[in-house]
Amino acid sequence: MQWITLFQKEMLENWRNKKWIWFPLVIILMAIMDPISNYYLPQIIEATGGLPEGTNIELPDYTPSEVIMMSLGQISSLGVLVIVLISMGTIAGERKSGVSELILVKPVAYRNYITAKWAALIVLVWGALFIGLLASWYYVTILYGSLAFGSLLLVVLFYGLWLTLVVTVSIFYNTLFKSVGVVGFLSVLTIMLMSLVTKIFGRFLNWSPIHLSDHIFDMLMMEQISTELIATAIITLAITIILLTGSIFIFKSKEMAN
Amino acid sequence: MQEVFENINWAVIAPFIIIQGILLIVALIDWAKADRFNGPKWMWFFIIIFVNIMGPILYFIFGRSKH
Repeated sequence: MQWITLFQKEMLENWRNKKWIWFPLVIILMAIMDPISNYYLPQIIEATGGLPEGTNIELPDYTPSEVIMMSLGQISSLGVLVIVLISMGTIAGERKSGVSELILVKPVAYRNYITAKWAALIVLVWGALFIGLLASWYYVTILYGSLAFGSLLLVVLFYGLWLTLVVTVSIFYNTLFKSVGVVGFLSVLTIMLMSLVTKIFGRFLNWSPIHLSDHIFDMLMMEQISTELIATAIITLAITIILLTGSIFIFKSKEMAN
Repeated sequence: MQEVFENINWAVIAPFIIIQGILLIVALIDWAKADRFNGPKWMWFFIIIFVNIMGPILYFIFGRSKH
């Protein structure tokens, strides 16, 4: 199977350039940073000179679900940025250096070339997300209180859809532009615009992928999966599929033109 | 300050420090083996060593060059 070969080549490459080592570690660091620092906040304030006499600030007691959401918050900002940075060169970089010509001169289907790259990134991102949230869950359990493991798996499942969309946006721009910098810039810009539009028209865009983490938080609080969450997940999945199909068509027409 | 160090449960902090250590070591091994960089080789050495947490990440994303 051609697809399997291409996929294995991508996985091997991600292993050789050590993405499989450093990317999960970075996600783990992001996920456990907030649970640890919030737990030690009183000591940190004390160590840095303490509060002035007489001030009385009640530090909030966080619930386990709130702390898991803090980890997601870190992954949503810094994590998404790192994902864009590692994916912006996957196709654009190969086209610039001529590697893609070496591959595509053989009878390789464009569909396979793109989806294999996409799938290798998705496996990496989902693996890292799972490991990172597992580490966060471990800290939440020992420092804040119990959270069902099933809930954690649901968080990974739904939040993974958002990261999948981020990867797909980056792949989409990869097929449009040859410059790695332009791909990265436009991917970040698109994600920022999506969140801006959702914030402005939030009431009408309840199913926007940006709302996924809000709905995940509701799920943790209510302990049930709302129809909004499912609808948002389906919308996210649909946009992903449309973008991926679009990238294959764009890549096909661009390469044919060359 | 002494008191603060005693109050901290090291079993909680240790994984955080160990992961940073692994990142640093993996980055240094990769740096020693690689032969093409974006910029001077020694600049990346100092970035990996001295830029806290972000140093190894910056190296992995921007440091190496394929050409």
